[in-house]
Amino acid sequence: MRSLVTRPLATVGQAWLALAATLGGATILLGRILRSLVPPRFDRDETWRQLYGVGVKSAGIVVVTALFVGAIMVIQSAFYVRRTGATSLLGYGVGFTVFAEIGPILIGLMFSGRVGANNTAELGTMVVTEQVDALRTLAIDPIRYLVVPRFIAMIVMMLMLMALGDVFAVIGATLTADALIGIDPQVLIDSLLESHLLDEYLLGLGKALCFGVSISVLSCWYGLGVRGGATGVGRAVNNSVVANAAAIFFIDFVMGWLFPVGL
Amino acid sequence: MSGAVAIRCEGLGKRFDGTWVLRDVNLEVRRGEVLGLIGPGGHGKSVLLKCLAGLLSPDAGRVLVDGEDLARLGPLGLARVREQYGYVFQNYALFDFMTVRDNVAFPLVQQAHLSAEEIDGRVASRLSEVGLGHALDLLPRELSGGMKKRVGLARATVGEPAILLYDDPSAGLDPVTSSKIFQLIARMHRADAATVVVSHDIDRMRAVCDRYVMLDHGQLVFDGPEDALGGAPDTVRAFFHDAAATQRRGGA
Repeated sequence: MRSLVTRPLATVGQAWLALAATLGGATILLGRILRSLVPPRFDRDETWRQLYGVGVKSAGIVVVTALFVGAIMVIQSAFYVRRTGATSLLGYGVGFTVFAEIGPILIGLMFSGRVGANNTAELGTMVVTEQVDALRTLAIDPIRYLVVPRFIAMIVMMLMLMALGDVFAVIGATLTADALIGIDPQVLIDSLLESHLLDEYLLGLGKALCFGVSISVLSCWYGLGVRGGATGVGRAVNNSVVANAAAIFFIDFVMGWLFPVGL
Repeated sequence: MSGAVAIRCEGLGKRFDGTWVLRDVNLEVRRGEVLGLIGPGGHGKSVLLKCLAGLLSPDAGRVLVDGEDLARLGPLGLARVREQYGYVFQNYALFDFMTVRDNVAFPLVQQAHLSAEEIDGRVASRLSEVGLGHALDLLPRELSGGMKKRVGLARATVGEPAILLYDDPSAGLDPVTSSKIFQLIARMHRADAATVVVSHDIDRMRAVCDRYVMLDHGQLVFDGPEDALGGAPDTVRAFFHDAAATQRRGGA
């Protein structure tokens, strides 16, 4: 009887302790990263390598995701646009949802799945194969050499990919609107430009910036914390993906609440 | 041995998940000597080596390098002390995204403030010393186990470190390659460097080691040259003779 009460309590307690350990550890890691940036003390070659790996290699998947995001928004709106004939609102609807909400979330999730998971696996493998220890014995701080370049690369590239994604989402929306409901691309573009969606666009970039910070810090935190060989790497990647997805939705909620747009 | 003490362990203890892996280890490593660290597998040798390098923090006692307690040094102090270390890892620990040349050049690029030409020259020279002058542009995944060990050895020694730690340098290698590795260890040894070699390969260690310490269940049970084995506990003598006999059979 007693265990029926204590066991669930212990499980909940352990989950809270794990959450506190992750948040505390990730915050300390963020502090160490920021301390390494002032004055800048990190490896520039490694930063270029990461910028290439994170950005150039992710561009394709982000473009494809963005094209579909724009297309899906048009498909979702098509019924109402046809029924009401409000074709001039289609550009506004697509721009508002893509720039401020759906675009950042979906691109953030794709980025987290591709780059964040890869980063956790790479760092975790370096831990279990003692490459991180090798850096330490060579008097090189793994935070400066491994984490800071990834942090910079993920933030810069998340912002650039978000901007790129916005463009391709509009292209996807325009092509779909033309093909599916016969709306002239120029009508959608004009509607988009007349809607003055700068606030929404900037909010989307702000979210991308915060996603870049959370994905980089959490994926590095889980990667460097790997214990127990290949199984440990798999577990860390799994935890990293789940934590990053949760963080993306939480950040999106907080930013949407703090900076309401379109009201 | 008359050299100055480079590393001193005082009452060193280390535990994992409540189990003590090292207990009350007192040890000195002097400059100029090669110390063989022996003992059955899983009895704390690699853990002790990592404590000596400051990769693991002791849970009891302390590790002093040139009189400085590693646990009391901040990140910059620890980095300064580690600049005199060379460490050959049991599983190579080569950076898998770098070529052989870049792996070996890495410590020099990061620390030594040498010109690119000087670094290239030292890297090429060290790699040809270990017989890998032809493998400069290969990636670690393209190398055999013995070649990886030699790259690890070249990387650890290219900066002429004052303290060299070898974690089972012949593990997983055939007898011929093991002999070559120990020949290289002997050749790379500097008169003013303190060297610690962890291995089970007693026969080959005889060619390089001046003194041995043996760990049994995390405790130091023997500390002295092979000549002093007569006064050692039976377990130590048995380990020496059994290990040597097993290797000779394996080698044959």
